[in-house]
Amino acid sequence: MDESEDVPKDFIKLKSEKLSVDEVSELVISPCCGAVSLFIGEFNISELDLWMWKKVVHLEYEAYMSMAETEIKKICRDVRQKWPSVRHIAVHHRLGVVPITEASVIIAVSSPRRAESLEAVMYCINTLKASVPIWKKEIYEDEYSWKENKECFWANSGK
Amino acid sequence: QVSVLYFARSAELAGLRSETLSVPRQITALQLWEEIVKVHPRLAVIRDQVVFAVRQEYVLLGDQLLVLQPGDEVAIIPPISGG
Repeated sequence: MDESEDVPKDFIKLKSEKLSVDEVSELVISPCCGAVSLFIGEFNISELDLWMWKKVVHLEYEAYMSMAETEIKKICRDVRQKWPSVRHIAVHHRLGVVPITEASVIIAVSSPRRAESLEAVMYCINTLKASVPIWKKEIYEDEYSWKENKECFWANSGK
Repeated sequence: QVSVLYFARSAELAGLRSETLSVPRQITALQLWEEIVKVHPRLAVIRDQVVFAVRQEYVLLGDQLLVLQPGDEVAIIPPISGG
Protein backbone atom coordinates (compact mmCIF):
# COMPACT_ATOMS: atom_id res chain seq x y z
CA MET A 1 0.00 0.00 0.00
CA ASP A 2 1.48 3.35 -1.04
CA GLU A 3 1.60 5.58 2.06
CA SER A 4 1.75 8.77 0.02
CA GLU A 5 -1.71 8.08 -1.37
CA ASP A 6 -3.15 8.17 2.11
CA VAL A 7 -2.42 11.78 3.09
CA PRO A 8 -5.14 13.22 5.32
CA LYS A 9 -7.92 14.64 3.20
CA ASP A 10 -11.01 16.77 3.73
CA PHE A 11 -13.97 15.87 1.52
CA ILE A 12 -16.46 18.76 1.53
CA LYS A 13 -19.51 18.80 -0.67
CA LEU A 14 -22.68 20.91 -0.82
CA LYS A 15 -25.04 19.27 -3.28
CA SER A 16 -28.68 19.10 -4.27
CA GLU A 17 -28.73 15.36 -4.92
CA LYS A 18 -29.63 12.78 -2.29
CA LEU A 19 -26.79 12.09 0.16
CA SER A 20 -25.31 8.62 0.48
CA VAL A 21 -24.05 7.13 3.73
CA ASP A 22 -22.09 4.51 1.76
CA GLU A 23 -20.40 7.15 -0.37
CA VAL A 24 -19.45 9.39 2.57
CA SER A 25 -18.14 6.60 4.78
CA GLU A 26 -16.14 5.07 1.93
CA LEU A 27 -14.40 8.41 1.37
CA VAL A 28 -12.76 8.31 4.80
CA ILE A 29 -11.83 4.64 4.99
CA SER A 30 -8.08 4.25 5.37
CA PRO A 31 -5.73 1.35 6.10
CA CYS A 32 -4.42 3.12 9.18
CA CYS A 33 -7.77 3.64 10.72
CA GLY A 34 -9.73 1.13 12.69
CA ALA A 35 -12.42 3.64 13.49
CA VAL A 36 -14.86 5.44 11.20
CA SER A 37 -17.46 7.52 13.02
CA LEU A 38 -20.52 8.84 11.30
CA PHE A 39 -23.20 11.45 11.97
CA ILE A 40 -26.38 11.61 9.89
CA GLY A 41 -28.69 14.61 10.28
CA GLU A 42 -32.32 13.71 9.64
CA PHE A 43 -35.52 15.69 9.91
CA ASN A 44 -36.73 16.19 13.46
CA ILE A 45 -40.17 17.63 13.97
CA SER A 46 -40.00 20.47 16.46
CA GLU A 47 -42.20 20.79 19.52
CA LEU A 48 -43.56 24.04 18.13
CA ASP A 49 -44.59 22.34 14.91
CA LEU A 50 -46.34 19.63 16.89
CA TRP A 51 -48.09 22.09 19.15
CA MET A 52 -49.20 24.23 16.22
CA TRP A 53 -50.33 21.09 14.41
CA LYS A 54 -48.14 22.04 11.47
CA LYS A 55 -47.36 19.36 8.95
CA VAL A 56 -43.99 19.83 7.31
CA VAL A 57 -44.27 19.01 3.61
CA HIS A 58 -40.55 19.32 2.84
CA LEU A 59 -37.43 21.31 3.70
CA GLU A 60 -35.47 23.77 1.60
CA TYR A 61 -31.83 24.55 2.25
CA GLU A 62 -29.85 27.47 0.91
CA ALA A 63 -26.22 28.38 1.49
CA TYR A 64 -23.68 31.15 1.06
CA MET A 65 -21.73 28.61 -0.95
CA SER A 66 -18.19 29.97 -0.99
CA MET A 67 -18.27 30.97 2.68
CA ALA A 68 -19.93 27.72 3.76
CA GLU A 69 -17.10 25.74 2.17
CA THR A 70 -14.53 28.01 3.79
CA GLU A 71 -16.14 27.65 7.20
CA ILE A 72 -16.30 23.87 6.87
CA LYS A 73 -12.61 23.86 5.87
CA LYS A 74 -11.90 25.85 9.08
CA ILE A 75 -13.77 23.20 11.06
CA CYS A 76 -11.63 20.49 9.47
CA ARG A 77 -8.48 22.44 10.28
CA ASP A 78 -9.61 22.82 13.92
CA VAL A 79 -10.40 19.10 14.12
CA ARG A 80 -6.88 18.24 12.97
CA GLN A 81 -5.40 20.57 15.59
CA LYS A 82 -7.47 19.12 18.40
CA TRP A 83 -7.24 15.47 17.32
CA PRO A 84 -3.99 15.09 15.36
CA SER A 85 -4.53 11.38 14.78
CA VAL A 86 -7.66 12.01 12.68
CA ARG A 87 -7.03 10.88 9.11
CA HIS A 88 -9.88 11.80 6.73
CA ILE A 89 -12.91 14.03 7.24
CA ALA A 90 -15.97 14.09 5.01
CA VAL A 91 -18.80 16.62 5.32
CA HIS A 92 -21.65 16.41 2.83
CA HIS A 93 -24.59 18.82 3.17
CA ARG A 94 -27.68 18.80 1.02
CA LEU A 95 -29.04 21.95 -0.59
CA GLY A 96 -32.35 22.80 -2.24
CA VAL A 97 -35.53 20.80 -1.70
CA VAL A 98 -35.13 17.89 0.73
CA PRO A 99 -37.93 15.43 1.56
CA ILE A 100 -38.36 14.97 5.30
CA THR A 101 -37.43 11.32 4.98
CA GLU A 102 -33.95 12.09 3.62
CA ALA A 103 -30.74 13.17 5.34
CA SER A 104 -29.67 16.79 5.26
CA VAL A 105 -26.08 16.26 6.40
CA ILE A 106 -23.63 13.37 6.72
CA ILE A 107 -20.28 13.68 8.49
CA ALA A 108 -17.66 10.93 8.62
CA VAL A 109 -14.26 10.90 10.32
CA SER A 110 -11.60 8.20 10.40
CA SER A 111 -8.88 7.73 13.01
CA PRO A 112 -6.78 4.86 14.34
CA ARG A 113 -8.77 4.64 17.59
CA ARG A 114 -12.45 5.31 18.16
CA ALA A 115 -12.30 8.07 20.80
CA GLU A 116 -10.85 10.66 18.43
CA SER A 117 -13.19 10.03 15.52
CA LEU A 118 -16.26 10.02 17.78
CA GLU A 119 -15.25 13.29 19.42
CA ALA A 120 -14.27 14.85 16.11
CA VAL A 121 -17.63 14.03 14.51
CA MET A 122 -19.46 15.62 17.43
CA TYR A 123 -17.28 18.72 17.20
CA CYS A 124 -17.95 18.95 13.44
CA ILE A 125 -21.74 18.89 13.68
CA ASN A 126 -21.87 21.19 16.71
CA THR A 127 -19.62 23.76 15.07
CA LEU A 128 -21.37 23.47 11.71
CA LYS A 129 -24.66 24.32 13.39
CA ALA A 130 -23.07 27.32 15.09
CA SER A 131 -21.07 28.85 12.28
CA VAL A 132 -21.65 27.59 8.73
CA PRO A 133 -23.86 29.92 6.64
CA ILE A 134 -26.58 27.48 5.61
CA TRP A 135 -30.32 28.11 6.16
CA LYS A 136 -33.25 25.74 6.42
CA LYS A 137 -36.82 26.62 5.54
CA GLU A 138 -39.66 24.35 6.60
CA ILE A 139 -42.45 24.28 4.04
CA TYR A 140 -45.92 23.58 5.42
CA GLU A 141 -49.10 23.06 3.43
CA ASP A 142 -50.02 26.74 3.31
CA GLU A 143 -46.97 28.68 4.53
CA TYR A 144 -43.29 28.35 5.47
CA SER A 145 -40.87 29.22 8.24
CA TRP A 146 -37.12 29.93 8.37
CA LYS A 147 -35.57 27.93 11.20
CA GLU A 148 -32.83 29.14 13.56
CA ASN A 149 -30.26 26.94 15.31
CA LYS A 150 -29.95 27.56 19.03
CA GLU A 151 -26.21 27.07 18.44
CA CYS A 152 -26.13 30.16 16.18
CA PHE A 153 -23.70 32.37 18.03
CA TRP A 154 -25.41 35.68 17.32
CA ALA A 155 -29.12 34.83 17.40
CA ASN A 156 -31.30 35.43 20.43
CA SER A 157 -33.68 32.54 20.08
CA GLY A 158 -36.28 32.41 22.76
CA LYS A 159 -36.51 36.21 22.78
CA GLN B 1 -18.72 49.99 -4.64
CA VAL B 2 -19.36 46.73 -2.81
CA SER B 3 -21.34 43.62 -3.67
CA VAL B 4 -24.14 43.07 -1.17
CA LEU B 5 -25.53 39.52 -0.92
CA TYR B 6 -28.87 38.70 0.69
CA PHE B 7 -29.79 35.30 2.12
CA ALA B 8 -32.83 33.55 3.54
CA ARG B 9 -35.27 35.95 5.17
CA SER B 10 -33.18 39.00 4.28
CA ALA B 11 -33.45 38.08 0.58
CA GLU B 12 -37.22 37.86 0.92
CA LEU B 13 -37.46 41.23 2.66
CA ALA B 14 -35.11 42.97 0.25
CA GLY B 15 -36.70 41.28 -2.75
CA LEU B 16 -33.38 40.36 -4.31
CA ARG B 17 -30.32 38.18 -3.81
CA SER B 18 -27.53 40.56 -4.70
CA GLU B 19 -26.73 44.07 -5.83
CA THR B 20 -23.94 46.60 -6.02
CA LEU B 21 -24.03 49.50 -3.57
CA SER B 22 -21.86 52.58 -3.27
CA VAL B 23 -20.67 53.10 0.28
CA PRO B 24 -17.82 55.03 1.93
CA ARG B 25 -14.50 53.17 1.95
CA GLN B 26 -14.37 53.43 5.76
CA ILE B 27 -17.62 52.87 7.60
CA THR B 28 -18.74 51.18 10.78
CA ALA B 29 -20.78 47.98 10.54
CA LEU B 30 -23.78 49.74 12.00
CA GLN B 31 -23.51 52.60 9.51
CA LEU B 32 -23.28 50.11 6.68
CA TRP B 33 -26.47 48.46 7.93
CA GLU B 34 -28.20 51.82 7.98
CA GLU B 35 -27.13 52.51 4.40
CA ILE B 36 -28.61 49.20 3.33
CA VAL B 37 -31.86 49.80 5.22
CA LYS B 38 -32.22 53.15 3.43
CA VAL B 39 -32.40 51.19 0.18
CA HIS B 40 -34.52 48.35 1.62
CA PRO B 41 -36.56 49.64 4.58
CA ARG B 42 -38.28 46.29 5.09
CA LEU B 43 -34.98 44.92 6.37
CA ALA B 44 -35.31 46.99 9.54
CA VAL B 45 -37.36 44.28 11.25
CA ILE B 46 -34.46 41.80 11.30
CA ARG B 47 -31.81 44.20 12.57
CA ASP B 48 -31.45 42.40 15.93
CA GLN B 49 -31.03 39.00 14.34
CA VAL B 50 -28.48 39.48 11.60
CA VAL B 51 -24.75 39.77 11.30
CA PHE B 52 -22.62 40.68 8.32
CA ALA B 53 -20.03 38.61 6.56
CA VAL B 54 -17.44 40.99 5.11
CA ARG B 55 -14.98 39.26 2.80
CA GLN B 56 -16.39 36.04 4.32
CA GLU B 57 -15.60 36.96 7.92
CA TYR B 58 -18.44 37.45 10.38
CA VAL B 59 -18.92 40.99 11.69
CA LEU B 60 -21.49 41.97 14.33
CA LEU B 61 -23.60 45.06 13.66
CA GLY B 62 -21.68 47.45 15.88
CA ASP B 63 -18.95 50.05 15.97
CA GLN B 64 -16.29 47.98 14.27
CA LEU B 65 -14.70 50.06 11.54
CA LEU B 66 -14.71 48.34 8.17
CA VAL B 67 -12.16 49.21 5.53
CA LEU B 68 -13.81 48.27 2.26
CA GLN B 69 -12.20 47.76 -1.15
CA PRO B 70 -14.05 48.04 -4.46
CA GLY B 71 -15.68 44.73 -5.28
CA ASP B 72 -15.67 43.45 -1.68
CA GLU B 73 -18.46 41.04 -0.81
CA VAL B 74 -20.73 41.98 2.09
CA ALA B 75 -23.39 39.42 2.98
CA ILE B 76 -26.42 39.80 5.24
CA ILE B 77 -26.48 36.70 7.44
CA PRO B 78 -29.74 35.86 9.26
CA PRO B 79 -29.64 33.23 12.02
CA ILE B 80 -28.31 30.04 10.49
CA SER B 81 -29.94 26.64 10.49
CA GLY B 82 -27.59 24.22 8.78
CA GLY B 83 -27.10 20.61 9.79
